[in-house]
Amino acid sequence: MKKLFTIFLFVLLLSVTVNAAANMEITFWTHEDPNRTEIEDRYIAEFEQANPGVTIKRVTSASGKIQELVLTAFAANQGPDIFNMSIEDEYAYIVNERLAAVDFEAAGYPSLQAVYDAYVLGVLDPVTYKGKLYGLPLELTNWCIFINKKVFRDVGLDVEKDYPKTWEEMVEVSDKIAIREGEILKRRGFDFRYPYYLVAMVPMVEQLGGKLISDDGKTAIINDEAWLKFLKFMQEWGPSGRNLGSPTYTNARTLFNKDNNDIAMCTTGLYQEGRIRNENPNFYNSGEWMVVPFPVFKDAVKDVPSAYYGHYYMVNGQKPKENQQMAWKFVAYMLSHPEEYLTKVNIVQPTVELMNSETYKSMPYSDVFTNDMAKAHVVYYGENSAEIQALIREAVESVMLAGISPEDALKTLKRKVQEVLEEG
Amino acid sequence: MSRRTPSYSIERKKSRWGWIFVTPTLIFFLLFSFYPIFNAFYTSLFNKKLLSLKPPDFIGFNNYSYLLKSPDFWNSIRATLVFTLGTFAPLLIFSLIFAIFIMSRKRFQKFFQIAYYSPAVLSSVVAAVIWLLIFDPRGLGNQWLNLIMNTPGIDHKWLANSVMVQMSTMLVYFWKYVGYFTIIFIVGLASIPQSIYEAAKIDGANDWKIFWYITLPLLKPTTILVSIMSMLQCLKTFSTQYLFTQGGAPLAPINVITLNVYNTAIRDHRIGRASAMSIVLFIIMLFLTWLQFKSSRADEISY
Repeated sequence: MKKLFTIFLFVLLLSVTVNAAANMEITFWTHEDPNRTEIEDRYIAEFEQANPGVTIKRVTSASGKIQELVLTAFAANQGPDIFNMSIEDEYAYIVNERLAAVDFEAAGYPSLQAVYDAYVLGVLDPVTYKGKLYGLPLELTNWCIFINKKVFRDVGLDVEKDYPKTWEEMVEVSDKIAIREGEILKRRGFDFRYPYYLVAMVPMVEQLGGKLISDDGKTAIINDEAWLKFLKFMQEWGPSGRNLGSPTYTNARTLFNKDNNDIAMCTTGLYQEGRIRNENPNFYNSGEWMVVPFPVFKDAVKDVPSAYYGHYYMVNGQKPKENQQMAWKFVAYMLSHPEEYLTKVNIVQPTVELMNSETYKSMPYSDVFTNDMAKAHVVYYGENSAEIQALIREAVESVMLAGISPEDALKTLKRKVQEVLEEG
Repeated sequence: MSRRTPSYSIERKKSRWGWIFVTPTLIFFLLFSFYPIFNAFYTSLFNKKLLSLKPPDFIGFNNYSYLLKSPDFWNSIRATLVFTLGTFAPLLIFSLIFAIFIMSRKRFQKFFQIAYYSPAVLSSVVAAVIWLLIFDPRGLGNQWLNLIMNTPGIDHKWLANSVMVQMSTMLVYFWKYVGYFTIIFIVGLASIPQSIYEAAKIDGANDWKIFWYITLPLLKPTTILVSIMSMLQCLKTFSTQYLFTQGGAPLAPINVITLNVYNTAIRDHRIGRASAMSIVLFIIMLFLTWLQFKSSRADEISY
């Protein structure tokens, strides 16, 4: 009886083990994007059918929340197999060696060089570390200015001629467009995307000759004069200055899609076109919107548009080797549809083939984005980029909202960013 | 020579059952309260980064000495104390007033209890989101206040001014928790025997004297309970400040210790330093609770 029971247990254990090996679950965490969900759910079904025994579990979270979820999961050594975030948030995972390098064979490439050759020059640099490649881009984005033509007409402006080319013009045009009820803004001309200071605001400082970090990476906040001018500009923009906008108003990008006479301009990427089409097809098809380049200051010493940033798919290095290979195989399968991502989600996967394709060139205003990107640089990324971004935010909001002088805000910013750099 | 009690006495049996009932709670506390506290203290002695797989460097009390020299941390202490003082005192006073008001009603007692208590049922995150909409410059906050004060077009900068944003966080917290503490006071008031009030009335005491010389002294244990609970609740405040800063409010005025702990750990990945901050907060909470107990000299009330 005892012997029989032992045999039974052995068979049971064996069947469980064999079953586990045959069935592989790949967890895939990504940010919410309804347009992507639609096509990626289909890719998952196709991939599962082509790879029996493999299940892909796709979990979405709000784009502002996923950083925290992935971080806490990795801290507990329970990270997902695949995830994607913006490179500023992902870079720490690379330098802390939490990731699996791209398995080019599993991804269907003959060599690692073939992977680099498939993408536009330089776009894989942020995910290359100590000679290894750690990510493949889901999207590469830069921002330009979206304009609602109706609002311009409403105040007697000729949008083709009067659209703001400089930040000084942006102030004047926004002031003309703004409708105020006392101190309360009922309609804004333009407003910034406040949480993303590295993408849009550091380039504004660079236009004035400033820099975030010195070339040798040892000194923070270069050229006080440029930073002061930028901080004074933001102070003037805010409620205690010319009252043109504030981080406390509903974000401009969301209002823009509604076409409710709330806002005339916002800064965002090509993907916004897909969101307008989805949320407000009438506005999308009306031809009442357009895209113009990112402005520069009148006395700019450098023509720097918004920085571009990438969302890269990454694979957890703590998962078993076979999971890593399957994960890269699945990532490559998703990324083998760049044209569908472009036409249905309006996100750009920067492959050489796509960027030269008619599909990309025929996208409304893709030339505006391409021209700006040619002059742009990648967003600042480093192990502490999220912390540095928060410190710039603190400085800008302190001058706009908390009544701190630009000089004091700069002094604090300099001290804190320098401390972050020195602590490493 | 000491005499030993018989091993099967009723007391021993009772105490054994007592231990059996208490053990699950003790295990729960050990696992989910004491272990995290000791673990946080242990972590605070290391230069530990959240994502690093390398063994962290032991740095002794360096994280604590860093905090003592950090203007940011002192600002967090200030923000926490301002918030606690600004919220805890009104919570205590108004919850008592509301409890007395409800108890004095002959009708609609239950309605008022539910009405006051309902915000406490909401999660803090939902409450903060509702108030974020109210505090939008074009939201109901400005509209109501301008209507009441006849000041059309004034932006009261609920989230866009250092002082106002602190007031706004206090207002949200007060709104959310006043009903909860009101209910506790109602329970306290209900436990005072009616015969004492009747005796006082026969002796000719008016309502004010009854409140001052009977209700308030007999409510002392409830008052101590409410004051400690509300103070600890205020010191632990997080979600309102977190969501307000996500909604564009400036960080520094409302950067309470818990928010600083969160940012240091999650945004900056410095879990060692964040642990040191949480230990400091724990010590502050422990000290203030002890101080309250000591200053109130809580005596048992028996009727």
